[in-house]
Amino acid sequence: MDDLRKRAKELIDTSAVKVVIGYEQGTGNKTRALFVENSEVADKLIFDSRCVQNLAAYVTKQEVKSKGKMAITATLPVMRAIIQLASEFQVNDDNLIVIGITPESKIIDFKNLEEVETYVHQFQIEIDARNREILDKLDKMTPSERWKFWIDELSPCFKCYACRAACPMCYCSRCTVDFNRPQWIPVSSNELGNLEWHFMRAMHLTGRCVDCDACANACPLAIPINLLTKKMIEDAKSDFGGYQPSLKGENLLSTFKPDDKENFIQ
Amino acid sequence: MAKIGVFICHCGENISATVDCAKVAEVVGKYDGVAISLDYKYMCSDPGQNLIKKAIVEKGLTGVVVASCSPRMHEPTFRKACAEAGLNPYMCEMANLREHCSWVHEKGEATTQKAIDLVRTIVEKVKHNQSLDAIKVPVTKTALVIGGGIAGIQASLDIANSGHKVILIEKDPSIGGHMSQLSETFPTLDCSQCILTPRMVEVAQHPNITLYTYAELESIDGFIGNFKVKIRKKAKSIDEKICTGCGLCTTKCPNKKNPSEFNEGLGNRTAIYVPFPQAVPNKPVIDKALCTYYTKGKCKICEKFCPAHAIRFDQEDEIIEVPVGAIVLATGFAVKKTDFFPEYGYGRHPDIITGLQFERLASASGPTLGEIRRPSDGKIPETIVFVACAGSRDEAKGIPYCSKICCMYTAKHAMLYQHKVHGGKSYVFYMDIRAGGKMYDEFVRRAIEEDGVNYIRGRVSRVYEKNGKLIVKGADTLLGAMPVEIEADMVVLATAGVANEGAEELAQKLHVSYDPYHFFAEAHPKLKPVETNTAGIFLAGACQAPRDIPESVAMASGAAAKVAGLFSQDELTREPLIAVVNRQAPPVFSSCVGCFLCMSACPYHAIEKEEIKNRQGEVLKTVAKVNPGLCQGCGTCVAFCRTKSIDIQGYTHEEVYSEVMALLND
Repeated sequence: MDDLRKRAKELIDTSAVKVVIGYEQGTGNKTRALFVENSEVADKLIFDSRCVQNLAAYVTKQEVKSKGKMAITATLPVMRAIIQLASEFQVNDDNLIVIGITPESKIIDFKNLEEVETYVHQFQIEIDARNREILDKLDKMTPSERWKFWIDELSPCFKCYACRAACPMCYCSRCTVDFNRPQWIPVSSNELGNLEWHFMRAMHLTGRCVDCDACANACPLAIPINLLTKKMIEDAKSDFGGYQPSLKGENLLSTFKPDDKENFIQ
Repeated sequence: MAKIGVFICHCGENISATVDCAKVAEVVGKYDGVAISLDYKYMCSDPGQNLIKKAIVEKGLTGVVVASCSPRMHEPTFRKACAEAGLNPYMCEMANLREHCSWVHEKGEATTQKAIDLVRTIVEKVKHNQSLDAIKVPVTKTALVIGGGIAGIQASLDIANSGHKVILIEKDPSIGGHMSQLSETFPTLDCSQCILTPRMVEVAQHPNITLYTYAELESIDGFIGNFKVKIRKKAKSIDEKICTGCGLCTTKCPNKKNPSEFNEGLGNRTAIYVPFPQAVPNKPVIDKALCTYYTKGKCKICEKFCPAHAIRFDQEDEIIEVPVGAIVLATGFAVKKTDFFPEYGYGRHPDIITGLQFERLASASGPTLGEIRRPSDGKIPETIVFVACAGSRDEAKGIPYCSKICCMYTAKHAMLYQHKVHGGKSYVFYMDIRAGGKMYDEFVRRAIEEDGVNYIRGRVSRVYEKNGKLIVKGADTLLGAMPVEIEADMVVLATAGVANEGAEELAQKLHVSYDPYHFFAEAHPKLKPVETNTAGIFLAGACQAPRDIPESVAMASGAAAKVAGLFSQDELTREPLIAVVNRQAPPVFSSCVGCFLCMSACPYHAIEKEEIKNRQGEVLKTVAKVNPGLCQGCGTCVAFCRTKSIDIQGYTHEEVYSEVMALLND
């Protein structure tokens, strides 16, 4: 933790960055995002197992971006998100420095995003055993049982959009659901509208989701909406050979590879 | 307030036989915003069009719905009629009552109801339609022809003769293609070289044609009327300006034992070579892969003997960039080699040859100077067997199609053999004789009846060698599949015509679609046979499917006519049905967030990055922008855009949504 604070101070004091995004102690036993703009504040920085919020969601926010060059404390899912954002031209070496944090809470100083990518590529996106079990159970259901499962799960949703706010990939300045000429996705929270919203979100994250679970963690009703994106990760693997966020910008759904087993897109 | 005119067509009886057109007009006439609704026997006729024009003027219509056939048929007709009456043509839409309703359903209430529903959705769409203007783009009046076979030659000459510049590129050292390899041509038996070489010379001399041989397409950018192509001029290792074409180098080159491509491996050539005596240009190239100097580092004998000092060992590939307005693809085809056939010995026996090799044996310029001799021992074959459909029409070989030219050239081969080897016996194994074409069937009958070629209907299951003879085992299906065994001296396989190696890569480079066999695909099998799906790129000859000479030439002239038509205008008018990325007032500028997924999804490379700058030149935002010249309006980007920042003009979100809602909210 001292390393982290030292590094943050150094970055601020040398004017390498204008703001360092990290975690601080929140209310109760929770942590929250901290934006370090001067070195005294850096002492508030913490890092422990409670720090699961995906901070990459902030680097695309105008309020943070407008401060100037940013640095971010980044665990593996955050780093993945950063690489995906870079491939979508949202961040680059000129506006972001990544302070990596290993699972052993060690600090890694990355010189550039390419190094971050190299680090990220050591690890595959894998669904954990507990969620895989649930997905298998869902797969075994009949379509009508599955339909009922999702109606039951999603009907309490009152569309607070906390999932969207927490997701690092949901950075669009105008979300599909806010598009109202015409209003393809209904805004009111009813059974069908809720389904449409969450399915649409899962589709938009296909090939992009970094499996950080920020959406499910943010949901005040603890709806397991990450199952939808996890299922899409599984399908992307079985139908398209899977993906890794990459600076080459090869989007899973729009990039044709000669060794693709389907050749319809040629 | 919308004032929509609805015009229901009976299409003779095509629609009215199953749809109650009068009722459709009556019901639709009561909808909000419909100012006039009527039915008529033939809307596309002059009186029918006049009904529409009159209504536009008298009722002050803001939109028109014509409910008739598919818009692929008459959309231009009705849009033009509307424009003549002063209405923006894109305010006119068609409801397809024929293909989508009357033709596919029985007469009845439900059919009429479906017709009403179809018209209603289009009425709702037209209410949201916006006036659009055609897009104009300038045209570069130079054509690129890729491939210097007979198709490419013909296309080049036709375009050049209509007064436009042509750049013809050919990957081999000479133009001429497969036709230059042929001995005689069916159905007239005139010498191939005699009719081809004047055209080759004409290409070389034509002031409007720039010929680059030994050159390949490197890359392409741009769109119809405005392509930018990069051409790789492979190093010939000679200075063409100085070389006199004396040919001394080719006689002095010590590296002589290389199979000649022109003679299909039946003869040899040197490492520095001119492919054949009538080559255009008649100047040698050094084959870097074979030349002793390039492979071993010393020799340079050609350089020593060259009286003009034209040899340039240090020459490198040159890449030139040229703007062109249209492209004609005439890259031709290839034939399967004998090694493709396990049942015919995997190409191990020298006397089992392909039809193209037989052409070289029969050709006066060939390795045997026109005498039919066996490649193995030079003996004149007393019995010869021709196998048609070697590979073609064979699902198991992955070539289910008919190669089309083999029936005719096999008859020609048998005929040439009979003419040259008196008393020789020839047999042709065939599946069917496909001799459709002017004088074609007569030609085959001549081979059978006058020249005494034995035609056996059946396939050959195996050919193997026994005591210096080739045993051909087949069946005669006209005699109840009776086994036939022939002891032959030589076997000629009419091997399947296939796409050229590299055709797939070229198609991908040019964004031209192709069929499962890698032949380039025409835009419409009947009505657009020389167009491709990419505007401004046309097809000629056997790169589209196996074709004979008359067809290739006709197709080449067709493609040339399309190019000349395109070049007849200074500006190109395009339908404005293209994608547009929205723009808004500052500070948003556009709802586009610049993720550029659309860029990777666009099959036409039509999406660019646009930097929105302030007056100080600082970049405020980078957003997507659609190049109107390249966009084909396919809508892939619309589907990919999460922020719904892209709309297809004429099929906007609002228009499509109102159609869907009109169908749902009955």
